[in-house]
Amino acid sequence: MSHWSDTLPVPSGQRRDQVPRDHSIYPQLLEITLHLRQAMREHFVQLTSRQGLSLEERKHTQAIREKEALLSCLICRMINLLQSEAASDLELQVPLPSEDSRGDVRYGERAQLSGQPDPVPQLSDCEAAFVSRDLSNRGIDISVFYQSSFQDYNAYQKDKYHKDKNTLGFINLGTSENKLCMDLMTERLQERDMNCIEDALLQYPDWRGQPFLREEVARFLTYYCRAPTQLDPENVVVLNGCCSVFSALAMVLCDPGEAFLVPAPFYGGFAFSSRLYAKVELIPVYLESEVTVTNTQPFQLTVDKLEEALLEARFEGKKVRGLVLINPQNPVGDIYSPDSLMKYLEFAKRYNLHVIIDEIYMLSVFDESITFHSVLSMKSLPDRNRTHVIWGTSKDFGISGFRFGALYTHNKEVVSAVSAFGYLHSISGIAQHKLCQLLQNTEWIDKVYLPTNCYRLREAHKYITAKLKALEIPFHNSSSGLYVWINLKKYLDPCTFEEERLLYCRFLDNKLLLSRGKAYMCKEPGWFCLIFADELPRLKLAMRRFCDVLEEQKEAWIVKQLEDAMRE
Amino acid sequence: MFTLPQKDFSAPTTCLGPTCLQDLGSSHGDDLEGECSRKLDQKLPELPGVGDSAMLSPDTSYLSSRGRMIKWFWDSAEEGYRTYHMDEYDENKNPSGIINLGVSENKLCFDLLSWRLSQSDMQRVEPSLLQYADWRGHLFLREEVAKFLSFYCKSPAPLRPENVVVLNGGASLFSALATVLCEAGEAFLIPTPYYGAITQHVCLYGNVRLACVYLDSEVTGLDTRPFQLTVEKLEMALREAHSEGVKVKGLILINPQNPLGDIYSPEELQEYLVFAKRHKLHVIVDEVYMLSVFEESAGYRSVLSLERLPDPQRTHVMWATSKDFGMSGLRFGTLYTENQDVATAVASLCRYHGLSGLVQYQMAQLLRDRDWINQVYLPENHARLKAAHTYVSEELRALGIPFLSRGAGFFIWVDLRKYLPKGTFEEEMLLWRRFLDNKVLLSFGKAFECKEPGWFRFVFSDQAHRLCLGMQRVRQVLAGKSQVAEDPPSSQSQEPSDQRR
Repeated sequence: MSHWSDTLPVPSGQRRDQVPRDHSIYPQLLEITLHLRQAMREHFVQLTSRQGLSLEERKHTQAIREKEALLSCLICRMINLLQSEAASDLELQVPLPSEDSRGDVRYGERAQLSGQPDPVPQLSDCEAAFVSRDLSNRGIDISVFYQSSFQDYNAYQKDKYHKDKNTLGFINLGTSENKLCMDLMTERLQERDMNCIEDALLQYPDWRGQPFLREEVARFLTYYCRAPTQLDPENVVVLNGCCSVFSALAMVLCDPGEAFLVPAPFYGGFAFSSRLYAKVELIPVYLESEVTVTNTQPFQLTVDKLEEALLEARFEGKKVRGLVLINPQNPVGDIYSPDSLMKYLEFAKRYNLHVIIDEIYMLSVFDESITFHSVLSMKSLPDRNRTHVIWGTSKDFGISGFRFGALYTHNKEVVSAVSAFGYLHSISGIAQHKLCQLLQNTEWIDKVYLPTNCYRLREAHKYITAKLKALEIPFHNSSSGLYVWINLKKYLDPCTFEEERLLYCRFLDNKLLLSRGKAYMCKEPGWFCLIFADELPRLKLAMRRFCDVLEEQKEAWIVKQLEDAMRE
Repeated sequence: MFTLPQKDFSAPTTCLGPTCLQDLGSSHGDDLEGECSRKLDQKLPELPGVGDSAMLSPDTSYLSSRGRMIKWFWDSAEEGYRTYHMDEYDENKNPSGIINLGVSENKLCFDLLSWRLSQSDMQRVEPSLLQYADWRGHLFLREEVAKFLSFYCKSPAPLRPENVVVLNGGASLFSALATVLCEAGEAFLIPTPYYGAITQHVCLYGNVRLACVYLDSEVTGLDTRPFQLTVEKLEMALREAHSEGVKVKGLILINPQNPLGDIYSPEELQEYLVFAKRHKLHVIVDEVYMLSVFEESAGYRSVLSLERLPDPQRTHVMWATSKDFGMSGLRFGTLYTENQDVATAVASLCRYHGLSGLVQYQMAQLLRDRDWINQVYLPENHARLKAAHTYVSEELRALGIPFLSRGAGFFIWVDLRKYLPKGTFEEEMLLWRRFLDNKVLLSFGKAFECKEPGWFRFVFSDQAHRLCLGMQRVRQVLAGKSQVAEDPPSSQSQEPSDQRR
């Protein structure tokens, strides 16, 4: 590293103080555990580094790695605990993960070695965070959770596809971003009204959001949500993104360990936001794809299912404080009818549950025959003090890098409490001005932006679904959002989450990033979410890679069948 | 879980425990950035003074118990906030409105900054700036920050972009660091008086407390100046925290100091760092005023300029543009740490503390423009700060009011103890209210956890006409008050310290 070098890591077990001050067992235990870790590591390297493995063995290798990761995590936790104890007894230095052990290029490497087993155990990322003398346990948890959720995304960030500069880079159909209207947005944001530097924008803001912006948001939502009466700017809190809004809501509505119900599959970011800071549990209300007598549509949410999940959670002693709904739904893409929405709200009221409704895709409904009904359009809400609406510009305007999210709630208590987080989730005054200008210009939005955006979404959706039909891949047909929810069950043998993960890795190896059902807490293995809101050339290439992988998967399956047959 | 304030706010003198663990309430009667003040008569609603969160109207509340606590933070802050914002001074529209000398903002250079930020290089919009990016901050910005800090902190070797994490302001950084370095209920040491909003920043999400290292104005023993921080005082505070069963994980240093305007010498800094290393404490060094040192002779040195840090893996440096570039509304802050675990953990939380891509681009452009910063902005800013400082300090001298200030920051730490006959915090609050009634907003010492009643922070970094009017209003209040006051009963102001130590 640089000039601060006088505490270079001392090899494992070496003591700075030669004379222990007392005879605590922690340092000894720590050393033993470190040895154990080393031995385990070598053992696993041996197990997994043989060359020329057959497909089955390779799968076996994957399983070993999973085990290894688990064991390693456990041991690291032990080390961490021991360290905190040992540190108070002895100055015992544990080697810090050196910089090159941070597997930044892991997927890059793996992709090049595609098909070969990875010679390096896949621990580095995990470990870098785990073995830390410096972080609190929750800090470690946060780090690990983040890294395990985002390592593939980070790999993509470092090795993005570019049509000239990096043709072998990753294509990302896994992150829900709308890249179809970058031209319009870039142009709009460069117009003159956007650039304004006033003193007030550079000073400490109203932490709930600048009054001009909250007024604009209230007007905007009144208009686009078709609210029966004018919405009140005092009920608006503006923060730097919807995940911040969700995080703040989870903090003020739940105490640690309490829970929200969420129909699953659901947007994985919520799991993140509820866990990192707030420590709130999300209890999935599992929905099924199969149509039966009670389940008249795939992934249908019913009050019975909600009730069942609630009672079960209560039976297990969990304190459920609310229900989270995403409408239009992510990843399924369904839109709740006003009737069903009302039923869910009434259910929530019956049990004194808060309802958080995330309508972040409300303007991304691209089928004109379908009307989206915002919860804010309802004449009367069953329990308006417990109904909280989230909206942001990330998806509907395709500017996720802008960091803007808004809360609308009638509940003044919630407004105040969430406002306290304004310090920590504030938006730059300059950005607030731009957002206000953007939302203000309804003419441009109605006449230029929305029609173009819907048209482009529709076309991209058409392209993707035609491809899927040609490949005979079942998918959930929907008319909103930026994604299709596809079923790759038939490519999994056996149909398990482990196989789902392997298929996901195969996509990654072919430089295609998708999201898998597990990340959405889907109950059935084999579902994937495919984001189609990307430009056609990239989309085409992505689909080519997609087909290649499925081809590969099929071949592998045949080989396996043959091998099995020969063995018999 | 949150521990609620255990003491009734109306009796603040009794709140001066050796740590401010139970003292969340009293340090948070502040507004805007948490520095101003709240009403004297304000008590915790329905709070009988026992740490039972259920007492905060549980039956009627829609909130969780921590939610009620968080709301209380906001509500108490909003009091002062509202008073000021409902009656803000405006030369033309509201000449009898409140002049704000309470919030630490630099309002002297908006002309320069608006000019710079309106230049054509600032208006760039490109798709990558509008999309999700690296949560640590765009690489181009982190590179620029590393170069900027290398240059202005005079680091012996170039600083590295990998060690930089960019967030939306210093508040977020405190929150994230508290969360990843401490478990809930653990604490950081902090010398008082200190910028009071930190209490809220580390508490909201992190539920981390501050254990105060109480400093006083009297120069005793080997001290060479008032409110001097020494290793002995650090040791003592740490011991006291331990004896109360509080686990201390780190030390927060603000350098240049807020509200004292004091500067730690490199030797002192080194001593504190060695102390921290001895006890395996993290050190968060907040250098948010590092370029606002307007007296050359003050001899400010950044911690990043030290040849050798005692414990580089546990030393974390904060900087932001809020103060040095007078843009508190811009929300840009940065962490520099060699500890990759800490950087990664903080970055994991950056999802919640992200900064708009367009603003990141503008910041990179700003920090890159060394010519403008060195030749236009800094000289002008320092000259204006110095002029404003001279004006206020001369006013104070003319009034025979003692104060502390060493040529850094936007404020003067003013000793109004002689205006408090009994030397209590109630009187301090009354005096503060009298200022507010006379339409000038100041910050009182209690908001900084100062243990001696009677200290006030005057922010001088405002335009001359407002400053003159503000000081005129201050004079009026003191003139009306000064006859009442006797000589400061020095023994009385020492009382809390006797009780405590």
